[in-house]
Amino acid sequence: MFNESPPLFGKTRFLEGLIDEFLDKISEGVIVVEMGIKAYLCANEDQEICLEKLNQTIEIKRRCSELRRSIVTMLYTEMLLPDARSDVLRLLGSLFELLDEMGDGYQELMIVQPKRREEFGQDFADLTTMAIRSVQAVVVAARTFFRTPAEVRDHINEVRVFEDETDKLACRIKSRIFATDLSFEQRSLLREAVAMIDALADKAENIGDNLSIFAIKRSL
Amino acid sequence: MALIVTVIFLSSGLFLGWSMGANDASNAFGTAVATRMLRFSTAAFLCSVFVIIGAVTSGTGAAEGLSQLGAINALPGAFTAALAAALTVAWMSKIGLPASTGQAVVGSIIGWNLFSGSPTDLGTLRRIVATWAISPVLGAIFAMLLYRLLVAWIRHSQPHLLSLDRNTRSGLILAGIFGSYAIGANGIGNVMGFFVAASPFRDLTLGGFSVSSVEQLFLLGAIAVAVGVYTYSRRVMMTVGDSLLTLSPLAAFVVVVSHSLVLFIFSSTALESLLAGWGLPTIPLLPVSGSQAVIGSVLGIGLLQGLRGVRQIRWGVLVGIASGWVTTPLIAAVIGFVLLFVVQNVFGQEVYVALG
Repeated sequence: MFNESPPLFGKTRFLEGLIDEFLDKISEGVIVVEMGIKAYLCANEDQEICLEKLNQTIEIKRRCSELRRSIVTMLYTEMLLPDARSDVLRLLGSLFELLDEMGDGYQELMIVQPKRREEFGQDFADLTTMAIRSVQAVVVAARTFFRTPAEVRDHINEVRVFEDETDKLACRIKSRIFATDLSFEQRSLLREAVAMIDALADKAENIGDNLSIFAIKRSL
Repeated sequence: MALIVTVIFLSSGLFLGWSMGANDASNAFGTAVATRMLRFSTAAFLCSVFVIIGAVTSGTGAAEGLSQLGAINALPGAFTAALAAALTVAWMSKIGLPASTGQAVVGSIIGWNLFSGSPTDLGTLRRIVATWAISPVLGAIFAMLLYRLLVAWIRHSQPHLLSLDRNTRSGLILAGIFGSYAIGANGIGNVMGFFVAASPFRDLTLGGFSVSSVEQLFLLGAIAVAVGVYTYSRRVMMTVGDSLLTLSPLAAFVVVVSHSLVLFIFSSTALESLLAGWGLPTIPLLPVSGSQAVIGSVLGIGLLQGLRGVRQIRWGVLVGIASGWVTTPLIAAVIGFVLLFVVQNVFGQEVYVALG
């Protein structure tokens, strides 16, 4: 069990370190989930590799949860950021939810195990890359919020563009899936996999929208 | 018996000190407490300590300015004039109009001058009235410049949100301390200035350490101010913090620093001698209203943000405050005149000593 006890002096630097580590872990989790989804849906990797990525994701989620709890406790007990505290907590909470949903979605994929079809390999790779770019852009925007809120807008714009592209790709892949002669059950499972990946970009966009408001509130 | 009489006469000054503590202390720490950057208990402690230090060490400069306006030369007269000012501030606060202790004091001195037939030094009066107009303008200018400078520095150094929060908090504490010192140095003239000419104290010498009668008076007044801070300033602090414009912690810091600078330049004897030494025109040492400087500074912050800031300013609140600035000295003068009549003719007290 990991214990974050703040030092007597230098609490601000300590908390800055916790927030940076939290954002690092979110970024790491996003990469691991991307590799996991691609390993299963695109590269037809062994079950063992996919399970390894799932376990890594679960471990990262656990660490993020601990970090978030430590940050929340410290922000309240030390009465830090009275004006921006709720915004910071909402931001960190929604980033954790995003990672949690990514992990859960990937886990569900591993449980349901839709039949992997080679002809959709590249489609799923493109869709996953686009959705993950959207998620990564929002993580970068969150990092920027803490130092240069004026630049958040640029990253939020990227999130929107990637989300838009993800929607188009998802729509195209779903149409292609339902144009095949697969059973209805298999078509539905593949469609759910597409929707799961698409939902990540949607969630990233929602976080981006909230983040742009937090940044406006902090603008000087 | 003489001590009891002295305490009774000084009580109105202490009442005035208490009401100043309850109202004006919010100018130094109100924004910090209202933006939740500082606990009230911490703010009240720091404010009380530094008001006392400011009053005892630098209070004489501004008090001399009031003495020029009208030297109340009898203790019952000083009691009545202070009571008139205190009643005005208390009454104005009760009906919800923001009042300035300094203006009430000036009004009550003029009331005494009219009653006693003493001439009012129109030159000093003009300078005092001019500070009422200049202090909000100066506050606004200082706030605009400081805010611009701070924003440029933050954009350049790009501190982490948490580091910025820590630095702003430290800045608010330091600025609050400076503001409290300035309130003590500048405002104590309003509270105890009445009793300077009719001081019941004598100079004390303890070994190599001497305390003048004026310093003893100011210490007593400052303690009354501190009691006012602890007992009644919390609500006022919360109101001042965001009644006119909702401030960010950074803007709150700028407002307190600007207010303190305005008070400092009107009360610092050191600055006066420095300017005189350089052959530059000096700034008159007069008690100015901290509330006016704060309001000016808040307006400055709002105007700096262009149309968006102008829309956010609650103009109705500002009109109420401005009307208070006009009516406070008038009401204090009228109450002072009436009370002096009552004290002289009903209680048989000598409220002034006829000169020449």
